[in-house]
Amino acid sequence: MKLTLIFFFLAVSQMMAIDTYSQSTRLSLNLKAAAVKDVLDEIEENSEFVFLYNYKLVDVDRKVTIDIREQKITEILKTLFQGTDIVYTIVDRQIVLTNKADQNSFMQLATQQAGKVIKGKVTDAHGGPIPGVSVVLKGTTSGTITDMEGNFSLNEIPPGAILQFSFVGMKSQEIVVENETTVTVVLEEETIGIEEVVAIGYGTVKKSDLTGAVGSVSGEAVTSRKTTQLSQALQGVASGVMVTRDNNAPGSTATIHIRGITTIGDSNPLIIVDGVPVNDINDVNSNDVESISILKDAASASIYGSRAAAGVILITTKRAQSNQLNMEYNFEYGLEKPTERPEYANVTRYMRMVNELRWNDLGNGPDEYPTYPKDLINNYNALYQENPDLYPNTDWNSLIFKDHATRQSHVFGLTAGSKNIRTKVSLSYDKTGALYDHRTFERITARFNNDVTINKYLSAKVDFYAKRSISKQPAISSGTIIDQGRMAAPIYAAKWSDGRVAYGKAGENIYGQLHYGGFNNDWYNQIGGKLSIDLTPLEGLKISGIISPNLNFDQNKTFTKQVPTYDWEDPTVREGYLIGFSSNALNEARNNNHQVTTQFLTNYEKAIGLSHLNILAGYENYYAFYETMGASSNQLALSSYPYLDLKNSNFIDASGSAYENAYRSYFGRIMYNFDNKYYLQGNIRYDASSRFDKNYRWGSFPSFSAGWVVTEEPFMKDVANLSFLKIRASWGILGNERIGNYPYQSSLAFSNALIYLDSDIVSALTAAQTAYAIRDITWEQTESYDLGFDAGLFHNKLRLTWDYYRKTTKDMLLPLEIPDYIGLGNPDQNAGKMKTNGWEADLTWNDQFGDVRFSASFNISDFKSVMGDLGGTEFIGDQIKIKGSEFNEWYGYKSAGLFQTDEEVNTLPRLNPSVRPGDIRYQDISGPDGVPDGNISPEYDRVLLGGSLPRYMYGINLNMNYKNFDFSMFLQGVGKQNSRLTIPMVQPYYGQWRNMPMLLEGKYWSKYNSEAQNLNAEYPRFSTVSLNNNYTMSDYWLIKGGYFRLKNITLGYTIPDQFMQSLGIQSCRIFSSISDLFSMNHYPKGWDPESSATGYPITSSFIFGVSLKF
Amino acid sequence: MRITILSLLIGIFLTSCTDLDMNPLSYGSTENWYSDQSEFEMAVNGLYKSDLWVNGDYFGGYPFFDEWTDDYTRRNETWPVTNATINGQWPVLEVCWTYRYRAIAQANTIVASLDKAKDHIDQSLIEKYEAHARFVRAAQYSWLISYFGDVIFSTTVMDLDESFTMAKTPKADILKSIYGDFDYAVAHLPESYGSSEFKWATKGAALAFKARIALYNQDWKTAGDAAKACMDLGRYELYDDFGKLFLSKTKNTKEGVFVIPRSLQLGSASIDCIDVISRNASGRGWLTPSWELFCSFLCTDGLPIDESPRFNPREPFKNRDPRCTATIVEFQTPFLGYMYQPHPDSVTCYNFNSGKYQKNNDSRTINAYSSFNGLLWKKGVDEDWSDNQQADPDNLLMRYADVLLMYAEAKIELGEIDESVLRAINQVRARAYQSDVAETSSYPAVTTTDKNQLRQTVRIERRMEFAFEELRYMDLIRWKLAEKALNKNVYGMLDVADLRTRVVEPGLWFFPEIPEIDEDGVADFSGMYSKGLIKLLAERKFDASKQYVWPIPTKEILINPNLRQNTGY
Repeated sequence: MKLTLIFFFLAVSQMMAIDTYSQSTRLSLNLKAAAVKDVLDEIEENSEFVFLYNYKLVDVDRKVTIDIREQKITEILKTLFQGTDIVYTIVDRQIVLTNKADQNSFMQLATQQAGKVIKGKVTDAHGGPIPGVSVVLKGTTSGTITDMEGNFSLNEIPPGAILQFSFVGMKSQEIVVENETTVTVVLEEETIGIEEVVAIGYGTVKKSDLTGAVGSVSGEAVTSRKTTQLSQALQGVASGVMVTRDNNAPGSTATIHIRGITTIGDSNPLIIVDGVPVNDINDVNSNDVESISILKDAASASIYGSRAAAGVILITTKRAQSNQLNMEYNFEYGLEKPTERPEYANVTRYMRMVNELRWNDLGNGPDEYPTYPKDLINNYNALYQENPDLYPNTDWNSLIFKDHATRQSHVFGLTAGSKNIRTKVSLSYDKTGALYDHRTFERITARFNNDVTINKYLSAKVDFYAKRSISKQPAISSGTIIDQGRMAAPIYAAKWSDGRVAYGKAGENIYGQLHYGGFNNDWYNQIGGKLSIDLTPLEGLKISGIISPNLNFDQNKTFTKQVPTYDWEDPTVREGYLIGFSSNALNEARNNNHQVTTQFLTNYEKAIGLSHLNILAGYENYYAFYETMGASSNQLALSSYPYLDLKNSNFIDASGSAYENAYRSYFGRIMYNFDNKYYLQGNIRYDASSRFDKNYRWGSFPSFSAGWVVTEEPFMKDVANLSFLKIRASWGILGNERIGNYPYQSSLAFSNALIYLDSDIVSALTAAQTAYAIRDITWEQTESYDLGFDAGLFHNKLRLTWDYYRKTTKDMLLPLEIPDYIGLGNPDQNAGKMKTNGWEADLTWNDQFGDVRFSASFNISDFKSVMGDLGGTEFIGDQIKIKGSEFNEWYGYKSAGLFQTDEEVNTLPRLNPSVRPGDIRYQDISGPDGVPDGNISPEYDRVLLGGSLPRYMYGINLNMNYKNFDFSMFLQGVGKQNSRLTIPMVQPYYGQWRNMPMLLEGKYWSKYNSEAQNLNAEYPRFSTVSLNNNYTMSDYWLIKGGYFRLKNITLGYTIPDQFMQSLGIQSCRIFSSISDLFSMNHYPKGWDPESSATGYPITSSFIFGVSLKF
Repeated sequence: MRITILSLLIGIFLTSCTDLDMNPLSYGSTENWYSDQSEFEMAVNGLYKSDLWVNGDYFGGYPFFDEWTDDYTRRNETWPVTNATINGQWPVLEVCWTYRYRAIAQANTIVASLDKAKDHIDQSLIEKYEAHARFVRAAQYSWLISYFGDVIFSTTVMDLDESFTMAKTPKADILKSIYGDFDYAVAHLPESYGSSEFKWATKGAALAFKARIALYNQDWKTAGDAAKACMDLGRYELYDDFGKLFLSKTKNTKEGVFVIPRSLQLGSASIDCIDVISRNASGRGWLTPSWELFCSFLCTDGLPIDESPRFNPREPFKNRDPRCTATIVEFQTPFLGYMYQPHPDSVTCYNFNSGKYQKNNDSRTINAYSSFNGLLWKKGVDEDWSDNQQADPDNLLMRYADVLLMYAEAKIELGEIDESVLRAINQVRARAYQSDVAETSSYPAVTTTDKNQLRQTVRIERRMEFAFEELRYMDLIRWKLAEKALNKNVYGMLDVADLRTRVVEPGLWFFPEIPEIDEDGVADFSGMYSKGLIKLLAERKFDASKQYVWPIPTKEILINPNLRQNTGY
């Protein structure tokens, strides 16, 4: 009640807030003889305005007739209260009504309440006063609101009280009041909608002022995805950002490409954290991210000219604000389960299928049991019961894989801000287990961001971060564990019935290797920081000097142990060693590297009348140094001491190498805007890289962009429902130089050759050129055009951003195939051109229905890259880059079904004389003379089979809040993709001993089938001789690889404040989150569309967590 | 104050310029290499790296070329060469091609760089380095024309642009250049090296390799002369004990004409032994000598098994040329610490290490995966292979026995059959019997002077002598024998139950019958197979219309419009 009264006090001050909502919102009303109350209700219903009034003072039952079309609220209120003594005050969306007579009495009432008085002022970030801010003594209902000058005064405040400041459109803030009697509070704008401030290169800009294509992602959107690594969290969050992953192994990361792939080699985007380039986006903890900007077009990115060709991701980490004080703790615990598990044959089916395969390869003679005798198969289950060691039936899958892996995460945060020093501390710890034993990933990160204001002219930022991650794995690759864990044939024993490790398939025993084979551990340690000194000698001019070192100390220790196995009944008879585990070997590696970035920036901002000018000039220097050292010893006597002190001095090896590189850059930018209506921006960057020869070292990268806010034009004012429309266009050139370190001078590789010296063998030093040197190699350049618009409709409830772009990469740095007979490896060279066309769209809807707040967003993007005249070809396994092809297009034979009869085999073209009915038939495309030659050959009959990259990538994000509940759902997908069914998925008897995929069952061509069955067979016959014919790349194995995935669902509940505060906790949220729960796709049963064939699977995560704020 | 800070900021700016002229830190740069003697020595060393010679790391070590012949059995498996599926995408072929040209490029670079070094390096050294480079180049081109026929040819450092349009050079033209290089090497390489010098290639090696490529090209005169010149150097002699010649511990013998050493301690590519050694000795025993090879060894009377009265199919190792049991493990003899016996009823065997009888994992009754044809390799194999499953014998790329037999073959083909020809063959055969060549009673000395008979004799001699040494494949190709030998199927023992009833119980172990051996030494097992006495392991297929040369790697054809694939591929 008291609060209500104070709102009247506000009205008395007669302030007129300058407010965009009340300025931009237009309403139509047509009511006859309606009560004022009803009119007000009508306005509330059709807008976001809320009326506050005391019905004793304002006569709301008065009947009025009103007919207004598309008028501002001020006009409506003027009409409504014409001739009365009612005055009104608009504060954003709140409208306070009162009468003139009562102004003074209320003012007196407020000041009479004596006691300990706190006075203060609330301003915005620019120092401007904010009137109408609600100031409440926490835990009570007493409070006030600020006056026209942003001043407020409160009585009867006990020491240690917490004041809460809130204002629509601003972030709420709390301060603790001790003995002081005056406080100053700076409120930050809430970054929602087009008023959001986004980071651009070396600065920030309001989103509405952008002229380039910049995607922005809030830190919250990233953390809500509950991934350990930041890269994985970006999947589907923004248009034009292609994030691909092929596994969810502990600590796994994802690959990010912005607006497709426009360069080859290293096409990872440049990652800038708080203005400084870093090597890996995953070095940043998701919880430390305040916001992420994605610079997509040349105009936005060219300020980073040299390395921006693949796009730029700017990450801003969280910092503290003045008068902030809180402590946070988050805890999460979760389970990971594979999304899919492929099925394989049981032991008797396996034996029958192997027999069929061998029978096929032996010409389908009389013996249909060439490998496993008939009796053995028929009696196998009984034999197994009798003696499982002689007749094994191993369920490798359940032996190797656990049902689920666990993960946990702890994040601790501390925010403390005074007027002059503001500190944000965060510490986090993550630990993830794997689906098999002996594998974990642990990570500890720390970040301390400090802002210091010395005086009006001088301030500094001092940041420090540290990261340590520890990856522990068995001494075998994850690919082998997954692959063999799934596919090892059941007929081989993993362990004997007394528990001892068995020989498996002649030493291939993934169970034994996993549990007894030793370990492969990595430790990654990173420390770094940033010192930035900012000088503001005069209004609008800011000069900054920045130095940021980053140091990495990485270490690996691989200890492979000898694993002998012994006979099942006689433990003295050694059968052999597991493969790769015949001796104890220790391998130690140390990689140290450091990078230092120094920057000098000058920024000048000036408004002259309606013109607004912002000029940036800068210099940047970057130096990186890498050094590796390794030492190893083999045939160690002991298997329990993984240290080189116990080396075998006869088998010892050491290695070491180093390299360095550097850049130097000068850059500048001018941003001009007239009346927030016309925007122009120009950038230029002049870059030098140590990777090029002195004469080809410098490159300049200009860009221009322009924007026009159409809705600011007078003729647009009356367009209904269009709140905002800006049209943008840009052009620019970006560079790339990320190839080897010394490509212009061919380097000699040193090695050793064994040669007799007298009668001793010695290791003699050798030197040989290994790569062709290309003296004039220089910058690759990508020229790009972008055309786009941003629109806001229905009072910006619906926002739409759309961009179309064309990119042309020329002098592309490409390791084109050179003939092997030149005797050197493929060098990087400035090859030909590549063109990329693409578009992307983002659509967001924000709304509120009663207590339900709701937002939905959708983004979609597509691109297609076509290779121009490359001056050569690049082969990449089953894919190719050649003039006219798409980027990494599938390349192989055109299939024509399966051969059905001997006659077909003998008369139609075939790949080799061993092809038989049931093998895949290919089309004879051409021959050495350019016409079909009746022969299938890899030289003349392979063609382009379609692009391999995903098309129409999209993401859908839904958020809902109802009272204390919050709900979010994230969907993501790929509309279209040509994907290959890989060999491990479809090839029977893979590696000549693995199990048979059950997805083939009943669907493969077989001598045992009827003719009709064979005509409908989906898969070729079983054969080892025809492996090369059947499983080589052809369109036979391409499927529709698009998918739609339920990426994440999160449900949270915030426990009501009153309850928690009695426990000394400010707020508490509990939540549960599920990731990658299900997907829709065309993949065969058992296979996830995103997972690789032999790597660690994609997993679903089930997470429970709690967030506490003190 | 403001000015001070401003200067401080500018100070950071000015001191933060990194010099952008950076050179490789841990690599040499071709900018300034090849300037002095030691740099040339390192470059020449590089020519003798093991991966540039046939046994590279890629191949896992064991002699793989023999797997594409009728000397090997690898259970049910066949290779693209032996099942006629070979095409230009076979990775093995691509690797062979690439490594040969890598060595050639290194050699060409050395030759080209010697010009620059003329002023500050002694002329004799220049000649020496050039001789090494040309020896290696010739040896590598020899290899290429033998396998691929006409190939891309250059003796200079190739220009990148030009390389994309190069066409094949006829084999005959390349051969001329090879002769020229070998002749230069013969003229400038030393016959031997001092105790403080690296044992690089010698004059004898150049002569022997020249003889080999001449022989492969039916240039009998050149082959005979070069082999003779090598013999006349008097630097080489046959090692006394054929059985021990190939062991890891027998190193650096006088029989080695061109040898790339191996050393486990120095971390060189080692032979991966596990596939070769017996199951009892913790191996897999799946890479085994073929029955055809077994049957090709003559009896001690010098006759093939189907003609000699001394051959007993129940005791097939008895009365055979000693190289038979030096190459293949004889049944009921100690092998790697165990008594070797693949007989299905031998369920236990004697363990010489423990002095006890134990389970016999080399019998398929006990272990179904032990040798499918009962045979195991013995040549070069000793305990060294089983202790760590790694061994490091010398890679004998050219040995004196080959020089002698090449000489004999060339002279026979020339029709110049004299005492020296018989002596050359008999020297090799006598060594096998560990007797002196003159003691013709202690071994089946060759005495015939009939050209056709001698031709067959020397061919069978080569097979007995060089099994496991990667020479059989080219012998099959150049004798045009591949289309016969490689279209024969691979056979092995019946599965245990059938083996007992059909072979063991009727008393037919080991060979139920004597296979017929034709005039080329090719054995025929089809009779035994049709009677159900042996098992078909795999079907071999060789397409004679194209397979006498390999296809050019597909990639090379696709990027060079002037390069045409070999006929039939």
